[in-house]
Amino acid sequence: MTSADQPTMIEFKDVHKYYGDYHALRGINGTIKAGEFFSLLGPSGCGKTTLLRTIAGFEDISSGVIMIDGKDMARVAANTRPTNMVFQSYAIFPHMSVAENVGFGLRKDPRSKDEKAAAVAEALEMVGLKGYGKRAAHALSGGQRQRVALARALILKPKVLLLDEPLSALDKKMREHMQVELIKLQRQVGITFILVTHDQEEALVMSDRIAVMFEGEIAQLADPETLYRRPNSKKVADFIGTMNFIPATVLSEAGDKVEVDAKGLGHVTIDAAMAPPAKGESPVVGLRPETLTLLYDDQKAAERETEGVIDEVIYFGDMTYYDVYLGGTDVEVRLSMRNVPGRPVLDVGTKVRVAWSPSALVLFR
Amino acid sequence: MKKGSGLSVYAILYLIFLYAPILILPVFAFNDSQVVAFPLKGFTTQWFGEMWADANLRSALFRSLVIALCTASLATILGLFAARASVRYNFPGKTPAMGLIMLPMVLPDIVIAMALLIVLLSLSVPLSMLTIIMGHVLLCMPFAVAILTSAFQSLDKSLEEAALDLGETRAATFRLIILPLVMPGIIASFLICFTISIDEFVLANFLGSGKPVLSVYIFGQFRFPAKVPSMLALGTILVLFSIILLGFAEYMRRRGIAKAGGKDSGGFL
Repeated sequence: MTSADQPTMIEFKDVHKYYGDYHALRGINGTIKAGEFFSLLGPSGCGKTTLLRTIAGFEDISSGVIMIDGKDMARVAANTRPTNMVFQSYAIFPHMSVAENVGFGLRKDPRSKDEKAAAVAEALEMVGLKGYGKRAAHALSGGQRQRVALARALILKPKVLLLDEPLSALDKKMREHMQVELIKLQRQVGITFILVTHDQEEALVMSDRIAVMFEGEIAQLADPETLYRRPNSKKVADFIGTMNFIPATVLSEAGDKVEVDAKGLGHVTIDAAMAPPAKGESPVVGLRPETLTLLYDDQKAAERETEGVIDEVIYFGDMTYYDVYLGGTDVEVRLSMRNVPGRPVLDVGTKVRVAWSPSALVLFR
Repeated sequence: MKKGSGLSVYAILYLIFLYAPILILPVFAFNDSQVVAFPLKGFTTQWFGEMWADANLRSALFRSLVIALCTASLATILGLFAARASVRYNFPGKTPAMGLIMLPMVLPDIVIAMALLIVLLSLSVPLSMLTIIMGHVLLCMPFAVAILTSAFQSLDKSLEEAALDLGETRAATFRLIILPLVMPGIIASFLICFTISIDEFVLANFLGSGKPVLSVYIFGQFRFPAKVPSMLALGTILVLFSIILLGFAEYMRRRGIAKAGGKDSGGFL
């Protein structure tokens, strides 16, 4: 969905969090829009879960402001915030039935018993657990527990649903299945979802926007495509997917064009949009494996081509990864080729031509 | 010979050595003779009747029950605080504090009894059932804390957060989530403390006033040979009662862990 014109749901203003001497959140700024599927992505210890827990109200912040739906949350306790959480362990109450778990938040709801029971049944149906109400909660499988946790949180119609690595305990098949279900569910209920994950693929698949976090700071906040194609730093580029880094020298900079000499690729003109602000590092250009193509027989490159020698072949079934030395240099790039009929898997040592496009290059410096 | 059968013979001999003396108790309690010796004379329930007719024994039993009930309640409530604090919070001096709570488990009872007696006398606190209860709480706390800590440990912290998150207050969270999940531990702790208190002798003897509790009374009666069989009858009943209580306590503890979906770790049976 396009969320650019949506009103702001959550706003962080210079949020800091200390645990004793440990600086867990180092000046978080940013907004999350209403109805958005937003992910906090980062390696473990980057502060993503801490940030989520400050939204829920389980952690106080040391300084700064968190606004939810226009209200400062500084003096609002966890149990009165318009957020609900799906915990990593699901936190299903083991001494209650599925229906009692799902209906737990309705205890103070003024509706009649029958109306509440209907709401519980509806919530269970929404997560695909119709008729499970009478089952004992501790006898459920991992996937079912997660659904109960979702139903229990969503029945209260929160403004924001917080998900703390909800898929990490599931096996791969189940995880992929639940990713799609969560996206569908989010579209159906229209509630703002905030997902914490360390799995970049999961974040890319599910989110409208992603905040990539390192060491208590947001390194980049963008939609998945921007994050993947135009990461604003080498670190983000490295964390999300695979990227080849090729040493380069900046020759000239004029208007919105940057002229570089990339080792093994030669002179390239890069659009300023693909050159995020300089950080004072030695310049490299980044190229995703799938933007490089091996040329077979008399195929011609659409834009540029470079010669190389295959150093390593990694066969994946549907894909083959090749590590290729570029143009007689020690620069090695990884590229991926789809294994289609009539396209043989090449051997190590084969001399190849590699096609690439200057527009796919990102310049980090 | 099968491998390991030597060990099982050893285990069986060990168990016989351990429990045969206790089995003597009911045997002679039903034996129709004042002399506790083989051969057995015949079957009688006379000693049980004689035991129950003893008014001094009844009042000693009553005192013991009151002391055990108070001890079990106090030790369990205090243990609840200590266990909760030790599982959930970190504070300076936690390790020494918990160590001191557990210490009476390894200290000789006689040392505790002497020390308490000296302190109480020097403070000129009159000896009474109250002083026995104080001593017994000290003695029972390690057991209460051990059982309740295991109950709290098997409780996932996010369960509390989930209840808060779903709009409940801290008090309601305690009542609706924490209490039901640790209740089996509370019951187990209560029962074990009760059992410990009711058959404790050393502290009860040192810290009691002139009116004896059950264990002290039994000890006193052994001076009179004519009284021994009825004491054996009483012992038989106490053994039976202890086994039932401990079995029930362990059942509650295991059920609690299963309920919270945790793994069993430790316990007394």
